[in-house]
Amino acid sequence: MIWVLLAAHIVGIFAASYSGRSSMRTGLLVAAIAPALTTAWATTQLLKPNDTVYEMVWVQGLDLSLRFRVDSLAILMTILVSGIGALVFVYASGYFKPSADGGSHFPASLLLFSFSMLGLVLADSIWTLFIFWELTSVSSFLLVGFKNLDVDVRIAARRALLITGGGGLALLAGFLILADASNTTVLSNLEPISGPNAGIAAALLMFAAATKSAQMPFHIWLPGAMAAPTPVSAYLHSATMVKAGILLLASTSATFEDVAIWKPLGLTLGISTMLWGAFGALRHRDAKLILAWGTISQLGLLVTLLSVGTPKATFAAMSLLTAHAVFKAALFITVGEIDIRTGTRDIYELGGLTKSMPITFAVAAISAASMAGVPLLLGFAAKEAAIEAVLDLKGTELWLVGGAVIGGAVMTVAYSLRFVLGVFGPGPQTSVSPRRSAMTVPAVALGAASIAGYIFLGSVNSIVGPAVVELDEKANVYSLLRWPGFTPGLLTSLSVVIVGFLIGYSVSTRTEGANAPTAIGASFADRSINEVLTFARELIGRIQHGSLPVYLATMMTTASLAATPFVTAIDPDSLRRWDHVLQIPLGFGVVASAVAGAFVTTRLSAALTLGAVGIGVSGLFALHGAPDLALTQLLVETVVVVGFVIGLGRLSRRFPPVGGAWHATRMAVAVLGGIAVMVALIASASDPTGLPPVAALSEGAVEQGGGKNIVNVILTDIRALDTLGEVVVLATVAIGIMALAKSPKPEGRKAAQ
Amino acid sequence: MSFVLVATVGGLTSVGIYLITSRSLGRIILGFALLGHAAVLALLASSGPAGSPPIAGTERSISNPLPQALALTAIVISFGLTLFLLALARRQHVLTGDDLVEDDLEDRRIARYDDSPDTSIERATR
Repeated sequence: MIWVLLAAHIVGIFAASYSGRSSMRTGLLVAAIAPALTTAWATTQLLKPNDTVYEMVWVQGLDLSLRFRVDSLAILMTILVSGIGALVFVYASGYFKPSADGGSHFPASLLLFSFSMLGLVLADSIWTLFIFWELTSVSSFLLVGFKNLDVDVRIAARRALLITGGGGLALLAGFLILADASNTTVLSNLEPISGPNAGIAAALLMFAAATKSAQMPFHIWLPGAMAAPTPVSAYLHSATMVKAGILLLASTSATFEDVAIWKPLGLTLGISTMLWGAFGALRHRDAKLILAWGTISQLGLLVTLLSVGTPKATFAAMSLLTAHAVFKAALFITVGEIDIRTGTRDIYELGGLTKSMPITFAVAAISAASMAGVPLLLGFAAKEAAIEAVLDLKGTELWLVGGAVIGGAVMTVAYSLRFVLGVFGPGPQTSVSPRRSAMTVPAVALGAASIAGYIFLGSVNSIVGPAVVELDEKANVYSLLRWPGFTPGLLTSLSVVIVGFLIGYSVSTRTEGANAPTAIGASFADRSINEVLTFARELIGRIQHGSLPVYLATMMTTASLAATPFVTAIDPDSLRRWDHVLQIPLGFGVVASAVAGAFVTTRLSAALTLGAVGIGVSGLFALHGAPDLALTQLLVETVVVVGFVIGLGRLSRRFPPVGGAWHATRMAVAVLGGIAVMVALIASASDPTGLPPVAALSEGAVEQGGGKNIVNVILTDIRALDTLGEVVVLATVAIGIMALAKSPKPEGRKAAQ
Repeated sequence: MSFVLVATVGGLTSVGIYLITSRSLGRIILGFALLGHAAVLALLASSGPAGSPPIAGTERSISNPLPQALALTAIVISFGLTLFLLALARRQHVLTGDDLVEDDLEDRRIARYDDSPDTSIERATR
């Protein structure tokens, strides 16, 4: 079934890209089909005991396969990914103007993301996980950079891609170590590992998760990613993709439980991100950025809880993840609607929307309350579980983690209130354009889910509970409570809500000095990226300078230096002075003619020296006992000299003059190359591996080839096909020369003389 | 291995390299031809000692025939290559009036960080 659903997504991508050509809205609605089908299927799988593996092996020996596993956790995540996905597609069809032109890649890209995220949550092989992880980064880049005519948008998209892509590389490296150490590539079979390599793998995976899930200091890409259209922000950058890092931590934390740095690293990242994110949400005045910083803070809380690592904390983390996906998607959806209908997202320009946008206000208020952890909503039950989990800790950990989580929760209440008051509260009466149902319906559905989740808390428990047990078997004793009774946890969360409410109220009524903070981290990242690009450009300018002679000289020098190791292999005993005394004058004549040819200034004399070299070489062949070679060489040389005269005859008589400094370099390179060839040649003869098979060849030539000239028999019998190929090469050359010589001069050009 | 042959190979290689790093297409072709000679001689030098021609049934010790068969192919192929290069040089002369190897202007533009529209087509038809 998994294959069918994944295939449906791929078909959907093409269908959406085809139908999106004429109209954006059609494309989006077509794209919604595959996630809707997937949600329907996943819903039927709920509450069933489930543990099916789907595998498509690619390379058996390397454990490379597409491997998916359908268990309770995968089903829960599938419902979140595809369910919210389907709603977001519907929402987007209202978000873009009905007149929005087709021809954009938006529907197809958004469905590509949906497909990648589905693959990611189902993956059971680390390689499958890695591939889909990277696909989500790429599709996120395409979606963030959707309005690609705006330079700021392009910069934000590039930043997001490079940070999450860098995390992807770390993930690959970490997985390689992990696969090596634990001897398996199947996620569900990973065993706890230890040792120094395990520490490195843990750090790499933590880094990957931190980039994807926007942990300090890598959170800087997430606010920039808000340049994307709001459906993208709601779907990728709050509900699903940023949870990928959390999922990675959750599914590998058992593997790294013995690694010392895992927990402190995670706690440091999580706590600092949680507090700094909440602080950011209190400072910004763009409603969408408030939510984005709130997401960063919530992700920090999730990382903190998973790093604590107790079964209770893991249970709380997964409950919060579910609740967060629901309320944060709803909040983003309402912000998008407000943006479209009022034309602004600045909380100081917005106000009085309670009357003009009552449905949106209701959804936003309920979802923000759920985010704040106000009772009678799903967020309350999840937040309660988190506070109970940290209050269970002992000693320093209680004070450190407990204090931070409670502090973060207070700030969460504060920014939730600031968001609602800022957007809907008293202020300028913003004028609004008419409501679009396509935007309202998904918002209401998600808003209602926060209430329904609380009312039907038993069902939520029966879905989330088994999912958490997949991660930690000891977590099966926990469940979300509708009303925990007057425990210290409840009293804490109630006081958190009250204190946060007071802080939020005082913050949102104060408007002085409320300029948006500058994004120091982001501009630092962009400057670094630009520096790297400039450096790359300069480096390429030096390496790829475009001068053919310099390229050749560089290559020759490199090859010559590569021959250095042969120097030690030289055995002087393998050298004779000469085979025949006549070799001396002939060899001298060949080299002298060649040198003369290099320095003569007229083209004709160069051609003649080449002829002299050829004749000398054929003499050397004859002396060596190779008459066939000598005859062929003589024939060939004659034709080549004629060719030189014909080919270059129309050029000016003299070669162009040669420059000075470059001249000396060429000499040096040439001498070095000559020495290297000699060294390699002598070294090759120093350690012969056997005698030439002369006897066998001469016997075979007569008996099998029926000829006495062994060289001829080799060419015509043993290497007959090669010789045929050689003939074809010559024929091709002849045709090529003919074509070049017969081509007319192009129109409008004068051949210079 | 005969040192004289080895030295001849080294000398031909040096001159060949010197010539192919030149800017004149005529000289580059000359260099290729010399490198071809060097390669064939190297093959021959490494084939063992000199001897009488490799004819079966000869009483005296014959030279190794196998590398000779390979060398024969090499000679013919480098002959074809040289002639084809000459035809190209001639064609270039028809088009541009000289036989110089120019720098790649696109690469120069990258080095200069030049984002202006491509003019190489106009240059080629100038």
